[in-house]
Amino acid sequence: MITVSELHKSFKLFAKPADRLIEAITGRVRHSTHTALENISFQVGRGEVLGVLGRNGAGKSTLLKLMTGVLLPDAGRIDIEGRVTGLLELGTGFNPELSGAQNITTNALMLGMSHQEIEARYQEIIDFSELGDYIHEPLRTYSSGMIMRLGFAIAIHADPACFLVDEALSVGDGYFQQKCMKRIQAFKEAGGAILFVSHDLNAVKVLCDRALVLEGGRIVHQGDPEQAVNHYNRIMARQAEEEEGRLQARQEGAYGTRQVEIRHADAWGRRSGSATLGSGDVLEVVLDLEAHQALDDVVIGILIRDRFGQDIFGTNTHHHCQRLRLAAGERRRVHLAIGADIAPGKYTLTLALHSGDHHLDDCYWWQDGALQFEVAGYLEGKFSGLCRLPCQIALEDSTACPSPSRQEAP
Amino acid sequence: MMPYPLRRRLHGWRRQFPLIWHLARQELIDRHKGSLIGKAWTLISPLVNILVFVLVFSRIMGARLEGFGAEIDQYSYSIYLIIGILAWTAFAKSLSSITNVFSERAGVITKVKLSLKALPISVLIAEAIIYAIGMSFFMVFLWWVDFPFGVWWLGVPVVFALQLAFTYALGLLLAVLAVYLKDIREGVAVLLPVWFWTTPIVYVSDILPEWVMHYLRLNPLYHLIDAYRELIMYQRLPDIMGLANLLLLTLLLAGAAFWLLGRTERDLRDCL
Repeated sequence: MITVSELHKSFKLFAKPADRLIEAITGRVRHSTHTALENISFQVGRGEVLGVLGRNGAGKSTLLKLMTGVLLPDAGRIDIEGRVTGLLELGTGFNPELSGAQNITTNALMLGMSHQEIEARYQEIIDFSELGDYIHEPLRTYSSGMIMRLGFAIAIHADPACFLVDEALSVGDGYFQQKCMKRIQAFKEAGGAILFVSHDLNAVKVLCDRALVLEGGRIVHQGDPEQAVNHYNRIMARQAEEEEGRLQARQEGAYGTRQVEIRHADAWGRRSGSATLGSGDVLEVVLDLEAHQALDDVVIGILIRDRFGQDIFGTNTHHHCQRLRLAAGERRRVHLAIGADIAPGKYTLTLALHSGDHHLDDCYWWQDGALQFEVAGYLEGKFSGLCRLPCQIALEDSTACPSPSRQEAP
Repeated sequence: MMPYPLRRRLHGWRRQFPLIWHLARQELIDRHKGSLIGKAWTLISPLVNILVFVLVFSRIMGARLEGFGAEIDQYSYSIYLIIGILAWTAFAKSLSSITNVFSERAGVITKVKLSLKALPISVLIAEAIIYAIGMSFFMVFLWWVDFPFGVWWLGVPVVFALQLAFTYALGLLLAVLAVYLKDIREGVAVLLPVWFWTTPIVYVSDILPEWVMHYLRLNPLYHLIDAYRELIMYQRLPDIMGLANLLLLTLLLAGAAFWLLGRTERDLRDCL
């Protein structure tokens, strides 16, 4: 369906716009080059979803633009059977002055549909977008979510053979995102090929058959989505380390009397071995402490917060009736294991060292968001809400529905 | 059998056509959406244009041109003027729109795959329709003043087709350049009025000294507008050599524009 072979794309950077023209005509080099994509090859078959991961600037959008034909490659081939549509950025060429209905016609024509096809699909598009009477209002009055709904509705109803999805999908609300996901699934089952670009690692794991990771314009990993996500996370972790300033800011984020300090902290999933773990995995946390003076009662506290800053779970050694004594200059490694039965999402770990039940009396060390981890996918059965609570369900014969045996015995 | 690439190219053009037509329609009708009389605006501007020239120059100024029967003498300058103005307006508006078409439609070009060669055609279609409307009003006016119609009128669409081709070729060349050099846009805006006054549209070329006439022949618009007047007013064959040269120039310009676009399209799409 989609065959991309040895694709190269670079952008030329010019000091003056006129230099671009002079070079185009004379052929003499007057630019510096930014290589956006280098030696990209992959295939997507019928009914297959290929995930594309990569941090900002890795070349994802350039790849999608090349696939739609909006940009032209320097070298290499893109062979796509049939029509390509997609949900690329907001609005895919909508005219804000025209109404939604007029934009359907214009956009569908641009995607290569004929007037008869448009007429046949027109009502379906409006129904799917759920815009109702708004369809006759000018597009400039739409919210970004409404524009995205219309864009998706047109793109998926244009009978594409290949569908491209990027982060624009995340503009929609939860309900519509789910609706889109279902539609994408149906499209996949009908034999369509999909290129799925997302930062939603959970969605990549759930939806994709394979995934590739772009870094600096090259494919650094291609294969199983699970592994690809881990690979992507390693890249992100490296990026975090590279950004010295951000690391320092995080260190400075710690406050307290510093009679005892956390020299180093790390967290990973027991099964995944990385900071991305499935729900139901065990979160391993290692803290290296160093005491600057003898302390009789050090309490180690840990707090998991979700991306809204909401406290999900916290505990400390005091609650566990464990007492830690430290001599002056002593270094100690502390190991915690927390069952991560929490919903997929991004979380931070707040670390604290204090005396007694809480940190209000003697706070030695307090660091908000010291560590980060992400829960993606479920290892043991799905659940709704923030966390899994122990639950047992017994199915017994209901008295409301008479059982067949009783009916037989009058 | 057509050779394969040509057939594929023709197929490509045919597939683009509904979109090009739709964009032209939008240009004409949909831009008036929300206004009280809507589509009527498309008719009103050419109508008012013609009425102004008729009233001002026949009734008020009463200018005269030689070589007509007495009964239409009163209107001869109006007729002379309207022929020139309609053709010039179609040319000037198309040229400035086409020059800006890539930057104006950048929002679409960067999102959906569109043929850059086909895009200016939607502008031409829209302007051609406005020209046709203007000409229809003009013909009604001519009929009303009993101006004689002849078979030479059939030459008008041919000359207009040449005008469109010339506008397309020059416009496409400027449009490609305008993406790289923002100056082109300003340059066209400044030079169009100069071009207007160096073409005998409101004045008669006979008033010019001989040495100016010599240079005037280098002006493509002179040949076009002169051809319309020969066909409509004097009912005779226009200067074929002039038109043939213009056709040659058009082909040269089109060749240059396609060559430049082919050479720079990849870059051009990058910097939109």
